[in-house]
Amino acid sequence: MTNRVFAAVAFAVAIAFAAVTQLISNEYYFTAAYTVLQFVILATAWNILGGYTGYVNFGSAAFFAIGAYSSVVLYNAFKAPLPVMIVAGTLIAGLAGLGLGYLTLRLRGVFFAIASLALAVVLYTFVVNWDYVGGARGAYVLQPSEVPFGLPRYVHLLYIAMVLMSALALIVARTIETSTLGRGLAAIRDDELAAECSGVPTLRLKIVSASVSCALMGMAGTTFPYFLSYVEPSSAFNLSYAVNSIAMPLIGGMMSWVGPLIGAVLLGSVQQLVQVTISSAWNLLIVGVLLVAFVTLAPNGIMGWIDLWRRRGRG
Amino acid sequence: MSIKYLPCFIGRMLGALLVSLVLSGAALAQQPLRIGFGMSQTGALAGNGKAALISMEIWRDDVNARGGILGRKVEFVQYDDQTNPSTVPGLYTKLLDVDKVDLVVSGYGTAVIAPAMPLMMQRKLVFMSLFGLNVNSKFKYDRYFQIMPAGPDPAVDWTRGFFEAAATLNPKPQSVALVGADAEYPHLALEGAREHVKRLGLKLVYDKTYPPNTVDYSPIVRAIQATNPDLVYLASYPPDSAGMVRAASEVGLKTRMFGGGLVGPQFAALKTQLGPLLNGIINYEAYAPDVGAKFPFLDQFLAKYQARAAKEGVDPLGFYLPPYAYAMMQVLEQAIKGTGGLDQGKLAEYMHKNSFDTFVGKVSFASNGEWAQPRMMTVQYGGIAGNDVAQWKKSGLITVLYPNEYKTGTVRAPYHENRK
Repeated sequence: MTNRVFAAVAFAVAIAFAAVTQLISNEYYFTAAYTVLQFVILATAWNILGGYTGYVNFGSAAFFAIGAYSSVVLYNAFKAPLPVMIVAGTLIAGLAGLGLGYLTLRLRGVFFAIASLALAVVLYTFVVNWDYVGGARGAYVLQPSEVPFGLPRYVHLLYIAMVLMSALALIVARTIETSTLGRGLAAIRDDELAAECSGVPTLRLKIVSASVSCALMGMAGTTFPYFLSYVEPSSAFNLSYAVNSIAMPLIGGMMSWVGPLIGAVLLGSVQQLVQVTISSAWNLLIVGVLLVAFVTLAPNGIMGWIDLWRRRGRG
Repeated sequence: MSIKYLPCFIGRMLGALLVSLVLSGAALAQQPLRIGFGMSQTGALAGNGKAALISMEIWRDDVNARGGILGRKVEFVQYDDQTNPSTVPGLYTKLLDVDKVDLVVSGYGTAVIAPAMPLMMQRKLVFMSLFGLNVNSKFKYDRYFQIMPAGPDPAVDWTRGFFEAAATLNPKPQSVALVGADAEYPHLALEGAREHVKRLGLKLVYDKTYPPNTVDYSPIVRAIQATNPDLVYLASYPPDSAGMVRAASEVGLKTRMFGGGLVGPQFAALKTQLGPLLNGIINYEAYAPDVGAKFPFLDQFLAKYQARAAKEGVDPLGFYLPPYAYAMMQVLEQAIKGTGGLDQGKLAEYMHKNSFDTFVGKVSFASNGEWAQPRMMTVQYGGIAGNDVAQWKKSGLITVLYPNEYKTGTVRAPYHENRK
């Protein structure tokens, strides 16, 4: 399937998912789906740098928060409309990723991972002390009273935005995977020194990969202030975003765009389900056990396990 | 069927209809009244969430033992919000759209109250909340009610007691240091404290915040000491409350009054952990054994609560949050009985117009849903020996300085002489 056909199919599926808002009135499914889709974007974004390139980013929450806080700034300054917030948050997070990549990706190995973690701490401290975005007290971002396109509630609009953004993230990930850029990133992941000797412009590719990955993470955070109506640093920089955006591709498989999608839908749905069924400390244990079980039994994720099974089937 | 049997047939049908209506009415009356909420059972605020849940369950059992509300037994539908605000919209839409609860109340704390507000406003629901700080200042929702006795202007009213107590010192204090953590509550408290500093014409010699994850608090206390303030107002969360109290003791902070807004010493865990280090410190408390007589029914509640808390490993004293969690449900109960139903508009109107008798005293609400009158007590700790939890149940350790109606003593200053 060519990338153009894939893009058309992805958007067609997204529109079909968006149309569900006209059929189901129960808001719960849309709030739950919003959360799962948010993780689809985060996991897909993380995988562009972590899975395709082999550079682990521990600072997913920081880029998610950049997206969220750029929306807070735009809300405070202009009461900007949602599409403007999405575009601006994505670009700002992408620029932050570019800066981080430029400064740290000259180094190999764990240095980028440490720097990404440090960036999260620096940004957290910055936001805590920035009164314009509420500082430590947090900021209120009130949903508009009128919902566009005749949608019944604002959460439906947020859900549709999240569906479209997920489709976009998957298209970007697949396009990178199947392009020259993707092959270059795969070469870096397998052996960076060999890739460089073979003429792969490793630094440039890594910076592109970091920028795109961070931009998509920021995009996932742009609608967060409207979803919660109240953003404070500890929820925007929540560790669960960093942990889930690593765990989901690990579970689904890091070699292709499908892995993070499967991992996010599976783990995200389980988390949503467990939260309202086993409502106690046990829900955390169950998610933890699931993680350990998947990583132990299928170290290359579900997609890796399926590939292995197929190969065995062929004899 | 012959025409002559028609009246008889219609009569039978009407009779059957009447009987079925009566039966369905009776069945409706038998249907439980379902109240839904998210409450932190895991995460940073799990300890408080569990304590609040125990209180609410005690209320439910008490109500059901009395025959329920309007003849309906009360049932809870409760989920763990994991102290994570992003779970809140999902949990409350599930409560309303899937579980079809009759009423909802909030979980514990501002961070999990605010994300539920848009949904409450869309559905025009009465939203009774548990210890949210000034949440309604932006939403301005007329069906929001809050049970923490912070008063109609929480920032200013919260810190009033410390400065009113300071104003009683002789000679009058001249200078003040304000210090707190870089977090939601301390920022609000310090904002209110600055108002009082201006009002009283005090000289502000130190006004700084510190990162919540600070490990060594001694440099902060030394920096404050260098300014030699008459008063030191501290707004902190439990870890830094403990850190600052220890540092003040180690450094030997010399000031006339120290404390004011420490979160933590209200709970048994920090009371026992710090023990005698709390001597001389001024702080806020919701209850003190010395004023037990002012809350005649609270003892019964605390006896039930403490028995369950011991088994479930949560705050064994229950002086702070648990009585208010119970009172929140009492307010709701009285409003339902007062309006004779669950009409949200009538409930809100009734709650605005009436006052409520609860275990924590009479409660009435201001137009913004906060308590009409602040009633958090400003206290001074003293006479604490050792780290035994049982001593806190006795009188004499917590002297109430403000408000005047609960006052049991005057400020013992300076702090450094009362620290021992």
